[in-house]
Amino acid sequence: MQRKLMWRWLLIGVVAAAAVYFMVPPDKKIKLGLDLKGGIHLVLQVNTGDAVRAEVDDAMERMRAELTGKGFAPEAMQRLEAGDGFKFKPVANTSDKVLDKAIDERLADFKVTRGVEIVAQVKPEVKRTIEDMAVRQGLETIRNRIDQFGVSEPVIQRQGLESNRIVVQLPGVDDPGRVKELIRSTAFLEVKPVVRVAPTEEALLATTGGQAPDDSQVVSGDLKGMDGRTTGKEYYLVKKASVITGRDLRTARRSQDQYNQPAVHFSLTPEGARKFGDYTAAHIGDRMAIVLDNKVHSAPNIKSRIDDSGIIEGGSFTVQSAEDLALVLRAGALPASITYLEERTVGPSLGRDSIVRGIRAGLFGLLMIVAFMLVYYKGAGVNAIVALVLNSVVLIGAMSMFKATLTLPGIAGIILTIGMAVDANVLIFERIREELDLGKTVRSAIDLGFARALSSIVDSNLTTIISALFLFQFGTGPIKGFAVSLTIGLTVSMFTAVFVSRAIFDLVLSRREKVTSLSI
Amino acid sequence: MRFLHNTSIRFMHYKWLWMGISTALIVASLLLITVGPGFKFGVDFSGGTQLTLKFKGEPDLGRIRKALEELGIGTVTIQRFGEVGEHDLLIRVQNPKQQEGDFAAPMLAALDREFNKEQSAIRLNLQGSEVITNALVEANPDEVGGTVSGKQAHYKPMADAILQVRKQKGLIEGPADLTGASAVSADVRTYLSQQARFGEFSLLAADNVGPLVGKDLQSKATYAVVFSLLGMLIYIWFRFQLQYGVGAIVALIHDTIIALGALSLTGREIDIPTIAALLTLIGYSVNDTVIIFDRIRENIRLQRGKPLTDTMDMAINQTLSRTIITSGLTELVVVSLFLFGGDVINTFAFVLMLGIIVGTYSSVYVASPIALFASNWIEQRRQARRRR
Repeated sequence: MQRKLMWRWLLIGVVAAAAVYFMVPPDKKIKLGLDLKGGIHLVLQVNTGDAVRAEVDDAMERMRAELTGKGFAPEAMQRLEAGDGFKFKPVANTSDKVLDKAIDERLADFKVTRGVEIVAQVKPEVKRTIEDMAVRQGLETIRNRIDQFGVSEPVIQRQGLESNRIVVQLPGVDDPGRVKELIRSTAFLEVKPVVRVAPTEEALLATTGGQAPDDSQVVSGDLKGMDGRTTGKEYYLVKKASVITGRDLRTARRSQDQYNQPAVHFSLTPEGARKFGDYTAAHIGDRMAIVLDNKVHSAPNIKSRIDDSGIIEGGSFTVQSAEDLALVLRAGALPASITYLEERTVGPSLGRDSIVRGIRAGLFGLLMIVAFMLVYYKGAGVNAIVALVLNSVVLIGAMSMFKATLTLPGIAGIILTIGMAVDANVLIFERIREELDLGKTVRSAIDLGFARALSSIVDSNLTTIISALFLFQFGTGPIKGFAVSLTIGLTVSMFTAVFVSRAIFDLVLSRREKVTSLSI
Repeated sequence: MRFLHNTSIRFMHYKWLWMGISTALIVASLLLITVGPGFKFGVDFSGGTQLTLKFKGEPDLGRIRKALEELGIGTVTIQRFGEVGEHDLLIRVQNPKQQEGDFAAPMLAALDREFNKEQSAIRLNLQGSEVITNALVEANPDEVGGTVSGKQAHYKPMADAILQVRKQKGLIEGPADLTGASAVSADVRTYLSQQARFGEFSLLAADNVGPLVGKDLQSKATYAVVFSLLGMLIYIWFRFQLQYGVGAIVALIHDTIIALGALSLTGREIDIPTIAALLTLIGYSVNDTVIIFDRIRENIRLQRGKPLTDTMDMAINQTLSRTIITSGLTELVVVSLFLFGGDVINTFAFVLMLGIIVGTYSSVYVASPIALFASNWIEQRRQARRRR
């Protein structure tokens, strides 16, 4: 064998070995897309307006407390309709000094317009920061929650740097409904002092003229009989200011209450424990309400000082719902509500079905091609088939190496690539036949055939790669997979059809002394 | 063996006939698109929620429709999917008035209420393994003692085995299906056959595309098609000459319009994979065209002074066997995808199946004649300028 030819075969061997190395074992190395593996793809939007509104409400309450404390309780204090500010009327005798000081100290983040009414609006740059923080915190919370599902290789990322959208991909999830619910649940826990309890809202507010006082609010809860079943509703008047909230939690876990029913046990951060301890010590005998997402779960009497832990019970929990609540409490509350913009769920059975069918169709097509090539090109057909098999191996190896995701359209792309890889061989073989017809010797016919077919092969593959690149740029999930398999496939096919089949021809010819015929 | 050896068909001689046929096809396609059935957009572009469900028996479409219409989230369209006897359905609802949100969950809940009347904590065809595990922990049919975590460890493998059955079959029809899952203990099996709800259907897939994402997808698809056409034009212009680029692009537009017309005629849905198929068609068709152009360029160099019509005929004849073999083989593969590839990629395969035929034809009878006209036109202008 000639030296040069040996080097070429060595290179081919290395490429093939590398491809096999990267693809073995195939079920571990080949990353399947959600459409084949089953799973859920979600695009969700963090409603950042909620976070801005919460910030405005906070500032508004601080302002009210400040002015009320100084004896000038403001009037008609309310949030602006757009949600990004609030307005109020200072009482007539409000001292300018107090008002100036309060605005300076309490409303630094606001643009304040003074007149008969004082209007405070969040400064645009502050608003942007709040919104950005809300998305980041949302991302963090969702990541924490998903980490606890035990999903392997989840994708959780912001869509673009500035956007308020988050993309979540969870392969192999078997209960998409529950996952969506858990991601979205706000799980906002508050412990609030109870002022009064009554069976109806009217009765509750009878003594205060049908309206809750400024510092209080009405929250409802289920009324339970002795056996734990819900028998009706109860209404609670609670203070707006919480003793502790979900932010003060260190951790939470599923546990059992005194009747051996599922419950959620939580413990507090040092600061939360101090607040809770101080409050409970000072209010022994009073009731406090454990409020979750604006619903009272229980309202126990404070029997003694409680320091660093508590229990949420009476929610008619099941083992599952207690576990879910503990999970979201541990992961933290979402800073704003969430809206789902897009969902793609593929059940595992559909994905499995798609793989089986796709591969079956591919193998059938491949067999037809093999049969044709052998009949039509005889000896050279074997050459083409070797190149084709190598093409498939290197393609799958390259996809594993680049960690490309195989999707259903991707399988179609591979099958199509195989069809197009044959094209290169056909171009070359037809050209060799032509040259032989012109009376050229076998060696020069092969030389010319390869040389002249080359520009056609490169041009035709490059044009297809151009459209594949645009598909990759603008496509989503499964389609990206198609573009990737097509691009890798076409690149590989140029290598196998031009380089490998040439090497095979040369190998065959190098064994023969005088070449007068070619099986083509 | 050799087909089409040494042919000398005067392709360009018949150009007016075939260009007339092409024009007729384009007009027909445009009529189909604008006047006729028009496009049927899938969820990707029209927005909305689509559930793919597998039913145990022949589903009562009236009940499905009624249950979903009570939700007040728009008109319900129901379509069969997959093979007959599989009882798979596509159920689609237009999301209410440009509203964002998760509509799959309420739809599933409504169907669950309608079709799965018996109450049970365990719903084998709708829940995941964790939920089934915890429900078994509470029922505790094996009477395992100890902590909740210990019980979870006991029941988890059983729940996994049950889900494996669902993955294989798509739907657990009844207690008989569970006998295959050997990890499930006899007591649990008895308990499940008495207490669990097998239900009438299982969820194969759910797609929900809100208006914002729908708009994104539309503009992305348009950009992808427009930019690839531009990319091709520039590439061919650069590698050949402008007149060939024009010929190739006209052929591509011809192919795309006819493919769209066929989609409209057959009432197939246009979705993201359909756009991918159109782009592949564009790539394939240009591939074919380039090979003929390549040969034309070579022949022009070899035989200066010969009329371009003859040079083109020669090039098409020389590449004819390759054209037929390659198109035939690729078509074979795509037909195999179309027949055996399953419903999910059926439209994709359909577009390619048609596209390969149209793309091959258009390389000969659209791209080449247009390039010929463009060349002649440029030549005439050059001569006119010289005369002046």
